[in-house]
Amino acid sequence: MEKGVQRWVVDISKWDPSPHDFCSVLSLLPQHQRSFVTRFVRMEDRKRALVSQLLQYALVHEVLGIPFDEITINRTLEGKPYLGNDNAGLEFPNFNFNVSHHGDYVAIASEPLCLVGLDIVSYDIPPKETVLEFIQNFSSYFSSLEWDNIVNAGSCDGILTEFYRYWCLKEAYVKAIGSGLAYGLDKVEFLHTRWTNISVKINGEDTREWRFWLFELGKGHWASIARGHPRSATESYRKTLQGSEFNLEEYHKGLHLPNVDFVSRTIEELISVLHGEAYKIPGDERNT
Amino acid sequence: MASVTGTSISMASFKASLAPSSRISNVKSVSFPISGKSFTTLRMQPARFRISCAAKPETVTKVCEIVKKQLALPDDSAVTGESKFAALGADSLDTVEIVMGLEEEFGISVEEDSAQSIATVQDAADLIENLIEKKGA
Repeated sequence: MEKGVQRWVVDISKWDPSPHDFCSVLSLLPQHQRSFVTRFVRMEDRKRALVSQLLQYALVHEVLGIPFDEITINRTLEGKPYLGNDNAGLEFPNFNFNVSHHGDYVAIASEPLCLVGLDIVSYDIPPKETVLEFIQNFSSYFSSLEWDNIVNAGSCDGILTEFYRYWCLKEAYVKAIGSGLAYGLDKVEFLHTRWTNISVKINGEDTREWRFWLFELGKGHWASIARGHPRSATESYRKTLQGSEFNLEEYHKGLHLPNVDFVSRTIEELISVLHGEAYKIPGDERNT
Repeated sequence: MASVTGTSISMASFKASLAPSSRISNVKSVSFPISGKSFTTLRMQPARFRISCAAKPETVTKVCEIVKKQLALPDDSAVTGESKFAALGADSLDTVEIVMGLEEEFGISVEEDSAQSIATVQDAADLIENLIEKKGA
């Protein structure tokens, strides 16, 4: 089952493809997936979206061994991608994944049984407001305990850091359950010991069914991972899962699988995974 | 009663169950031409009975301005009523800030669930005018 736990990240800051090169890479994706890339107005967002797609196909191919052209990735109404193929058999009772992209990084995380959510944030200083003005916009998304922790963090730097960490975790939770909404997040309260042993109280209840981790990716970026019970999934996402009910023993096995570190992948590698052979990537300067 | 709106809206980023009543304009539907040519079977409704109409162009323009500012898009970017926030590169933080900016600009208060059901600039403009009207009523 451990093999189902994957964490991959790509640093796209060095990838600077010409429009032509970008198109060649885009054309590797199935036709119906390309609009998820081209719908973005900004090139930077398109790059991130394209790499996100590559990660999804490469991960499914590598972990489940499904040939690239047989992989079906669909989306829920809320936009969450999931594997449409009839699944992996008993090794992975509930294989699911989540992607995130922000700034220089695009990443993917998968789990064999528990739901997984992933979010990347970067430490961005608000350009036109003070830190306090900025965070005030979001105060209704935090419990009073969390809010106190944020505003009492000392320096502006400290405050902003705490804010982004909490936000990142909340987003990972929202994404794990497949919700499109950051709704009622003041009732999703995070508890931690110096940002380890992170757990959550939902509506005041600590169910011990969720675990969270925060990673520093570098260059002021963090990634959060949420791992939780499939029955917490929203209705539309739950329908896509193999199973949402597990006995306590099975579930704990999934919940307590080792969490792995993020592995750095290059765009070059992703494409070669999809094609099973070495492939020179247009636009990647390291090849020249 | 049919609602007459000028835009057709994609369901792609909507939550499955939308807030009821005033959101008729968000049903995935074909847009009704307002030019008058297809009006043989519809009676023109008096203004004060409209449930939900497309927002005034000035409101849409103002929303576009706020969005461009928040997302640091150049002034000449093609942002229109049909632009989807997600496609413009808005992440969850941006979306909250945009809604806050709209609340401030128009003097309204947006409920969390309505805020989350806004997918395009037009949605935002429609919601704003709806709230202004309710406030004035």
